[in-house]
Amino acid sequence: MMSIATFFCLPTHVFAATDNYAFVSATQATRFQTLTSQLRCLVCQNQTLADSEAPLAADLRHQIYIKMQAGQTDAQIVAYLVARYGNFILYRPPFVPATLFLWLGPALFLLLAGGGLLFFIRINRKV
Amino acid sequence: MIPELGTFAIILAFLFSLLQIGSGAYRYRHPHTLVLPKTAALAQGFFLLCAMACLILSLISNDVTVIYVREHSHPSLPLLYRIGAAWGGHEGSLLLWCLILAGWTAVFIFANQTRIIPALRAAILMNLGLISCGFLLFLLLTSNPFLRDFPTLPVSAADLTPLLQDPGLLFHPPILYSGYVGTAVAFAFAMAALWYGEFPPALAHALRPWVLLPWAFLGCGIVAGSWWAYRELGWGGWWFWDPVENASLLPWLATTALLHSLIVTQKRQTFAGWSILLAMLAFSLSLIGTFLVRSGVLVSVHAFATDPARGIFLLIFLTLLAGGSLLLYGLRIVRFYRPVNFALVSRETFLLFNTILLLTAVVTILTGTLYPIILDALNLGKISVGEPYFNTLFTPLMLIVLLFMGVAPHMHWQHYALKKLSAHILFPLLISCIVIASFPWLTDFQFHFMASLGIAFASWVIAATIVYLWQHRHAGTLSHIAMAIAHIGIAILALGVTINKTYSAERQLRIAVGDTTTLAGYTFDFIQQTRTAAENYTSLNAIFTVKYNGKMQGTITTSQRTFVSHNESLSHPGILWNGWRDLYIASGNVYTNGSWAIRIYYRPLVRWIWLGGLLTVLGGLFALLNAYFQRRKKAC
Amino acid sequence: MLKHIRPLLPLVIFVFIAVFLWKGLRLAPAEVPSPLIGKPVPAFSLPSLFNLQQNYDQKIFNGEVSVFNVWSSTCSACAAEHDLLMDSVAHTQHIAFYGLDYRDDTEAAKAWLKHYGNPYHLVLADVSGDAAIDWGVYGTPETFIIDKHAHIRYRQIGAIDRDTWQHVLLPLIEQLQHEQ
Repeated sequence: MMSIATFFCLPTHVFAATDNYAFVSATQATRFQTLTSQLRCLVCQNQTLADSEAPLAADLRHQIYIKMQAGQTDAQIVAYLVARYGNFILYRPPFVPATLFLWLGPALFLLLAGGGLLFFIRINRKV
Repeated sequence: MIPELGTFAIILAFLFSLLQIGSGAYRYRHPHTLVLPKTAALAQGFFLLCAMACLILSLISNDVTVIYVREHSHPSLPLLYRIGAAWGGHEGSLLLWCLILAGWTAVFIFANQTRIIPALRAAILMNLGLISCGFLLFLLLTSNPFLRDFPTLPVSAADLTPLLQDPGLLFHPPILYSGYVGTAVAFAFAMAALWYGEFPPALAHALRPWVLLPWAFLGCGIVAGSWWAYRELGWGGWWFWDPVENASLLPWLATTALLHSLIVTQKRQTFAGWSILLAMLAFSLSLIGTFLVRSGVLVSVHAFATDPARGIFLLIFLTLLAGGSLLLYGLRIVRFYRPVNFALVSRETFLLFNTILLLTAVVTILTGTLYPIILDALNLGKISVGEPYFNTLFTPLMLIVLLFMGVAPHMHWQHYALKKLSAHILFPLLISCIVIASFPWLTDFQFHFMASLGIAFASWVIAATIVYLWQHRHAGTLSHIAMAIAHIGIAILALGVTINKTYSAERQLRIAVGDTTTLAGYTFDFIQQTRTAAENYTSLNAIFTVKYNGKMQGTITTSQRTFVSHNESLSHPGILWNGWRDLYIASGNVYTNGSWAIRIYYRPLVRWIWLGGLLTVLGGLFALLNAYFQRRKKAC
Repeated sequence: MLKHIRPLLPLVIFVFIAVFLWKGLRLAPAEVPSPLIGKPVPAFSLPSLFNLQQNYDQKIFNGEVSVFNVWSSTCSACAAEHDLLMDSVAHTQHIAFYGLDYRDDTEAAKAWLKHYGNPYHLVLADVSGDAAIDWGVYGTPETFIIDKHAHIRYRQIGAIDRDTWQHVLLPLIEQLQHEQ
């Protein structure tokens, strides 16, 4: 199932990267954890920044940590990363015209197909 | 010698698949005997078994002239994992795919489906032959596991990826593939019916076990995969919406939808076209999943080593098979239209609406998976779609599903009867209100709006299902029990997911022998560091004791394993679990001063997720038993 | 009429998906495009690898078309493109050719350049890797083409092969040299 194809991640390939950051509060630690697990590591294939052991992921976590200590908001930190790596780094794609169908498509499908089904039963009913 | 025999066996199997197609097509017209297509199918299965035996023998004897053996095994690899290595890589797993398809065909033959007219049986055998033929060609042309070369230098073997060296490897892929490939039988049924131009009620009844079986296998395989990834990868999670995981979920959702629409087709002889479409969809999604995982169009944590030629072949095959069948569907399905013979508000409508909900889940996953490709192909930028997206969209969808799951079984067949319904659902409604109000007091958990909502909906389903069971306690058939178990399974899964997502905790730290840390009320003492050796690795272990309110809970051993074949070490997490929570420690670096970088996770109710999944499988098995008894009753 | 067209809808949807899967086969899913294309080079202050006391900043890119190559002595793909850097890039007329030694041991990097040859006019050392983050670097080697006004115009991910150099990078450099 899982012959890993990537080279960068192979050496230690434990999926839990471990840093040793001191946070001012448990809330901030949770914020850090939540934020890094919503960002994509660019080196390792389909891993979150939180889980990746790639050196770049460690650097980026460090940057995020520093910015958090400096009082930056999540939005500011995300903007900093997107300016450098583009939307690719976000596991939650932004809601922009190009992703309109991504976000609304499934709901649209549910409405159309569900409505279509009820309509179909109603007009074809012969009991 | 053995590898050549293996290749030869695959070639023979391929030839027999051609015979199976040809004779099946002929017997569709002249169906007085089916001996030839059956024999061809069984012979094909026999030779694939031989090929698999050859591959396993090559692995056991560690024949390094075989490239596959060199890349997926090592002299130090224990015997069991050498066998597992037979499906630990792309080529071998594809051979397993073909072997399992032949197995399903054999089961179909021995099940002696006399309820289906011989012409349709011939057509089904032909369709299965077609699928098999395509995959055998794929195996021979792009992915022969028996390719060998004779390097002059002494070669050092690579090894089976250490992550795969886990008991999970021995049973997860065969179970999951049985599910994937099993959907081919329902596909063959649907194609045969389309070709024949009729979907007789007997066919709908005969089809049901062929949906239930792969559905149960898929459920089992998904649970096994989730559990394996959880206990091996050290990330404390059980689902990541990775393309490989999605590939297994898609056919499961489609077969679940098919199971529900098939009930309507069986009972009312309507919506046969819808059932046919869902059967085709289930297998097509299996194929799309195979393509996504093996072609390299997506990046995944667990992807196979990829090769563009494989992608092109698979895509052509997928297009021919799925495109061809959908074309046939488009041209023929009008013949299957029947008037709707039930009320708009009736159990039938709810069953069909449920298929729409499940299809919405399929659409969500497909959109999320394919959207980055589409944007990239249109030069509109590169995006990633991951867990946050899927969680955001699946939460409301699953709430709707749970809402309907409580009501639907209480609906009347065919007719609309609101008065009775309100009496039936009053009690479950009350229960879920009580649960939502008392939850924060009953447990240590803090109030959380979304979590309460999820818990309330889950308990609503459980209560409503139990009421349903009580009302049908004298029915004397297993079908009610089957449904109830499966639905309660989903509710338990939902409960597990909700609590797990909301109340999990984790922390990462550096810790040395003698140090103590706490998480979620538990105290962890790093008491000892040991060194142990196993057959093909040595292990450096950190042993923790866990206390809760001063009471000893047990020990957790997390380790760094160094494999003989690699120089790098692999972290192996330690888990202490009971029915209510998992405590999980994964290690990162071990520093020169003797301290360990570790992550501790507290994962409440994570076992409920797998328990719920297994309950749905159990429900499927009850439904199978029920189908079996019904058939015996009719035969008597 | 509708009754006969509607059944073909699933086929239409499948064809739509298949077309994009086909296109997807030709895409490189792991290559991340840079949002910095068309933007001025990020500000930095980095020492020269061969003189850690002397710092340079983004002004070095002013006035001339530049090639900016990110590499490291630990990266095998960098060694693979090094011949091309030595014999083609280094001999291109009217360009400035800068290197960025990424997350590397400076002594090892100097030894590496001594062994393989130094094609760069100037090598900057980014020991911490922080400057590279501002450039959006996520692996080595990466190569940026920068115009006369210090705007990033192109980024190559991974090693440059001769084909890419001849047909993509060199024509672009020549075009940029003619821009005012």
